Amino acid sequence: MIPWSSFVQKAQSLIDPANFNIPALSSPDHNPSKASLFRQQFRLPDSQNPLQEITADLVLPLPNSSANQGDGSRKVDRAGNTYTGRLHLSERFICFSTQPTSFIPSATASTSTAWTGQTHGTGPSGNGFVLPLSCIRRVERLHSASHVFSLALTTWNGLLNKQQEPNLVPQRLILQLVGSRQACERFCDTLKKGLREGMKEVDNLRTVVTDCYSEYLLSGAKGKGQDGNESDTRQPPDAGLGLIFRYPGDARKLRDRSKMRLWGEYFRENGRNATLIRQPTFHKLIRVGLPNRLRGEIWELTSGSLFLRLQSPMLYQQTLSKFDGQESLAIDEIEKDLNRSLPEYPGFQSEEGIGRLRRVLTAYSWIDPEIGYCQAMNIVVAALLIYMSEAQAFFLLSALCDRLLPGYYSTTMYGTLLDQKVFESLVEKTMPVLWDHLTKSDVQLSVVSLPWFLSLYINSMPLVFAFRVLDVFFLEGPKVLFQVGLAILRVNGEELLETQDDGSFISVLKSYFSRLDESAHPRSENPKLRAITRFQELMVVAFKEFSGITHSTITETREKHKGAVLENIETFAKRTSIRNLGPESKRLSVDDLGTIYDRFYETLYQWEQRQRVIEEETRRQERKRSQRLSMLAPPADTQVGRVGLGPSPTHMDYEAFREFLAATSKWAVADSPGPSGKEPSSGKSALWANRRQPANHEFMQRLYRKWATNPEEGLNLQNVVNGLARLKGSPDIMNNINYFFDLYDDSGNGQVDREGILKISEALLFLSRRGFEGTITATPSVENLNSTADRDHAENSLTTDEKFLGSVSAFIRRCFEYADPSHPENRKADQQDATAEATEKLDSFAIGDDDEEEDLIDVDDTKPASSPAPDATAQTAKSATPESNSDDHNRSTSESANPALDPNNPLHITLPTFRMVVLADELLEQFFESYFPQSFHLSDHPHPAALAASSSMSSNLTTFSNLGSIRSSGLAAGSAPVAGASGGIVPPGKGLRGVLDNIVSDGIRMAAEVKKRMDEAQRDLERNALSREEDEDEEDDEDYPRRENTAAAIPGGIPSWGAGAYGADTERRSIVRDADRDLLEGAEVLGGGKEERTSLLDGKDDANHAPRKVSGSAASAKDDGSPTARDGEVISKLVEFES
Amino acid sequence: MSEAASANAPKPSSSVKLVLLGEAAVGKSSLVLRFVNNDFQENKEPTIGAAFLTQKCSLPTRTIKFEIWDTAGQERFASLAPMYYRNAQAALVVYDVTKPSSLTKAKHWVAELQRQASPGIVIALVGNKLDLTNDGGDVSEAAGAAQDESESAQNGEEGAGEEDEVQDAVSGDARKVSTREATGYAEEEGLLFFETSAKTGTNVVDVFTAIANAIPESSLKTGRGTGAGTGQTSLGNRSAEDSRVNLGDRNAATAKEGCAC
Repeated sequence: MIPWSSFVQKAQSLIDPANFNIPALSSPDHNPSKASLFRQQFRLPDSQNPLQEITADLVLPLPNSSANQGDGSRKVDRAGNTYTGRLHLSERFICFSTQPTSFIPSATASTSTAWTGQTHGTGPSGNGFVLPLSCIRRVERLHSASHVFSLALTTWNGLLNKQQEPNLVPQRLILQLVGSRQACERFCDTLKKGLREGMKEVDNLRTVVTDCYSEYLLSGAKGKGQDGNESDTRQPPDAGLGLIFRYPGDARKLRDRSKMRLWGEYFRENGRNATLIRQPTFHKLIRVGLPNRLRGEIWELTSGSLFLRLQSPMLYQQTLSKFDGQESLAIDEIEKDLNRSLPEYPGFQSEEGIGRLRRVLTAYSWIDPEIGYCQAMNIVVAALLIYMSEAQAFFLLSALCDRLLPGYYSTTMYGTLLDQKVFESLVEKTMPVLWDHLTKSDVQLSVVSLPWFLSLYINSMPLVFAFRVLDVFFLEGPKVLFQVGLAILRVNGEELLETQDDGSFISVLKSYFSRLDESAHPRSENPKLRAITRFQELMVVAFKEFSGITHSTITETREKHKGAVLENIETFAKRTSIRNLGPESKRLSVDDLGTIYDRFYETLYQWEQRQRVIEEETRRQERKRSQRLSMLAPPADTQVGRVGLGPSPTHMDYEAFREFLAATSKWAVADSPGPSGKEPSSGKSALWANRRQPANHEFMQRLYRKWATNPEEGLNLQNVVNGLARLKGSPDIMNNINYFFDLYDDSGNGQVDREGILKISEALLFLSRRGFEGTITATPSVENLNSTADRDHAENSLTTDEKFLGSVSAFIRRCFEYADPSHPENRKADQQDATAEATEKLDSFAIGDDDEEEDLIDVDDTKPASSPAPDATAQTAKSATPESNSDDHNRSTSESANPALDPNNPLHITLPTFRMVVLADELLEQFFESYFPQSFHLSDHPHPAALAASSSMSSNLTTFSNLGSIRSSGLAAGSAPVAGASGGIVPPGKGLRGVLDNIVSDGIRMAAEVKKRMDEAQRDLERNALSREEDEDEEDDEDYPRRENTAAAIPGGIPSWGAGAYGADTERRSIVRDADRDLLEGAEVLGGGKEERTSLLDGKDDANHAPRKVSGSAASAKDDGSPTARDGEVISKLVEFES
Repeated sequence: MSEAASANAPKPSSSVKLVLLGEAAVGKSSLVLRFVNNDFQENKEPTIGAAFLTQKCSLPTRTIKFEIWDTAGQERFASLAPMYYRNAQAALVVYDVTKPSSLTKAKHWVAELQRQASPGIVIALVGNKLDLTNDGGDVSEAAGAAQDESESAQNGEEGAGEEDEVQDAVSGDARKVSTREATGYAEEEGLLFFETSAKTGTNVVDVFTAIANAIPESSLKTGRGTGAGTGQTSLGNRSAEDSRVNLGDRNAATAKEGCAC
């Protein structure tokens, strides 16, 4: 517990208290960090951060001249293309882009992604390169007349193959830095450092690169001149299932061979895979469709998943072997779909293909358990596997889920829903006529378009065309999906305008997709025009007509709809889970369930957030260590916990449960740092206004264990609802009493032992220490009627809280009185004492009531609320003073009365006894009838049970209002709880309230003290057992009452109270007595034993015997008449619970 | 019934939006495939989002064109469901008779529909994969039994369930959800109830016909006739070997109906 709370405190200190709901972590929706924008632009792994940037010219050698250039520092004049752009440096990458970037710290999504808008589809990075530093073999500084810093980079391009490629010209590019000398030097220093680190990764690079078909292609080219597929002795790297089962489509028709040749040329001039430089041809080559064998590799490169693989080349295999043989829900789901993923492709009718699919999906479900497996992933991965190896598909899937299709496959699929909204709003904007038509004919567009996005058109279009879309998608990002979708609607616009319902709408599109390979202009005279297929037309429309749809358009539109979409999902989730809570939950109102639901997840969410902060902190300290896993884990800046965003934790542990309770019940809020400061103004809003430190009391632990089906696992919503439903769901007081008893019935045999009784009393004090919020009203009505005016006055001036203290101490006493001895012989002794004590009780009634009222007022006026509590011993001593007289008095009459206290005589109470004891006390009865269930604050709407409860105590309320008026005149501070005000917590600043808080918390402490003393006494007892056999009973008797009394005497224990201590204490005692009377009569009726509790701890008390006796008898004189008056009532109560 | 009054008027045709809901892999798509194409595929591609199919169902009094939205069953697709059951006039909530958890999920869907879908939606509870149980062995017999059960669902009898349990006890088949349990639930909630096998075709058409009959005339979009009988009793005549709805109704189609009220 202790380490935890210190963690929590630490976490809190890390969090800006002003906006607690927004964690200190950067969130993606508002102002994405510079680093994340940088990564987005260059498709870098999450481990990368922008370190340096500088303007530079990239000078590429002319393909032909480069051949004879060799090495050495030649003049750069002879170079070929020159690009001006920004050069960026991260830990492991050097990136260059001709597109302007704006990684200023204040960059927002719109400003920093605006560059993609300018590219109009030429790719996120424009012309340039993203080179892992490990690719760089050598950097030379050139002597250049025009530039201070001119660097020549030589790469490993082509040199990592075991076989030397003939005619291989080392790739060499020249960077001319433009900037101040200092800036250039800074850049070069960082570069130097990075290069040194990068050298360590050359082996990784080698591993990764050998899986690339381009290497094979280029090395094979030596033998056969052209694309030497089978010519080489070396096995070609795995370029997907297509190598075995053929690639979809007609290779000849796709002009695969010539595309291959063009790519070969491009690679030779501009480098391959990791060392590739993007020039305009690159984008063009992608637009016309990738050749089959290179498709996987280029996808990997453009999506950035190559860099993920480079970072930990063995992750895929490691993941598989690490989790080998383990089972999970995701695996079950995957298994179901394996046979139905692109079943028309021959590769997936074979064990080979299905095995690959199974492994990739399974491995991914392990590294991203939050996503696990989502239907549609099977289709996407199946498609990827046709063109790439398992490991490549694995990393590409990771790039898809994390970056390209964020939230698409999450458990709530919020990304999918969000992009549907975005798509709809784009349709509305770009094709208003069609949109109007759809709206009018009630066709829901997303119903049609959702599968397009979710499975990347793979199961909507014929595969060959879907792959063409993917080619561009991986290069240019998610906007492509929107552009193509819009183009589909545009091309079919006229036909779609004629449709009237979903059915015809869908069939128009279906037939369109099936005819994508047909000529778009079959009747055209122009053969060139006739040769244009519908698909080509679609691409042209998508990227020309909808070129205005840019990455920033998408980002902005997403931002606009995000809130509503998440809200929808959350409403749905809430509705569904509340409905599915089962029969028990029906006892609570829907509002209450909603409140529980919200609070449950809010608590979990905040708990999670704080833990994340802690984690972040730990991670910061031991960075890099877990780099491998964090690399593929969802980016650190995703929001977690929000229900709509995906899997959120479903179970709360005890720590989180405490927070939940603290938000639900006042008593669950910890006392520190001072009661007056903690007082919320009122109601739920106040409960949430500032977080409260939850208390940690044994009662809460019991509640937790009681509610949890499996305490190890934690509480789920169902547990919490069931728990609350049992407490609040029925207005039946018996139910509540039983429940409470059950909480303490540890052995489950219907008995609560001595220890348990004390714990119950502690819990009662704990629960009541913040007042009763008006649910309990101490009605001295009976006394008002029956006793003397003096006493009335005294009673009225007491607060409910004070009276409740009395009730609790009476409760303990009675419990012991009526406890069943575990050994039958003890019973006799109990009975003997009954009569004696009865009289005695009366005697001790209303001790010293004469000066009480004044004293209380005194206290109220003069003492600050936060008077520090003195240490326990001091209290005991002080309180003992006024008390001891009655102790003494009692001792004399009840000497042998207390076998119940003898630890050698174990005892227990049963449920009927417990009920009886509770019902015998008005305050306890109210406590269980209304306060206890109502202290769990749920919705603002009172639910039926609560209403029933309050109506049943209407009589009390009536008298209370009377009382209230009396009190308001008597006590100016008006410290009494106001009836009916839900959560009506007395505002701070009222002196007496603060004092009472102290009293109550002291009371709890004292109860603990009592227990401690009890144990001590027991030890004493055992020690003295032999020598004082005869006196034993007597001693016991003294031991226990002393204990009890100490608890009761707490108020007096506060030294600062001065005279008031005495007054309050005796006042309280008088209630005890008063309440006892009921029971007393009941006891007589039942013939049960009864003992007076007095405080007789040890000889110290002797000095006080005399005065106490006096006040005791004074009280008895006053209370003569009252007991009989209540006889009838008590008897009827007893009858009630006996039956 | 008003068929007698029918004259030579062409049968009114109306379309009905029907949505299929249920846990993953209980056979929703297969039911539809059986109904629409009278076909069965062992490895049906999982539905992404939802699949849309149409099929006509000819009743004695009218023709119903079902616009079927076959939704994805995986749990996380649940949040998409409202998109599909929006404006649906009928729903087929499917569970797997060999998988008790699927009935629980079905109950959740029923509750969801009852609260969120259009009021008056006709809901049929369908226990699929009857072929995996003993009573699925013999098609016609099983169909008969299921028929009885569905009637008992309406009549509140419980005979069929007992019979079931006896059978279970004898041979220990794959059935895990007793007919009686499902019947009882369907009755409570006022649902149509069938046990089907998309694989053998048992009862599949009957489900759709029953739904077609249960759709209140008033909620039909293009229904011209108003007095068509919606009595479910007409179902009783349909025999189990009527695996194709259009075939089975060809005779009935000649009997014209008119507007009686």
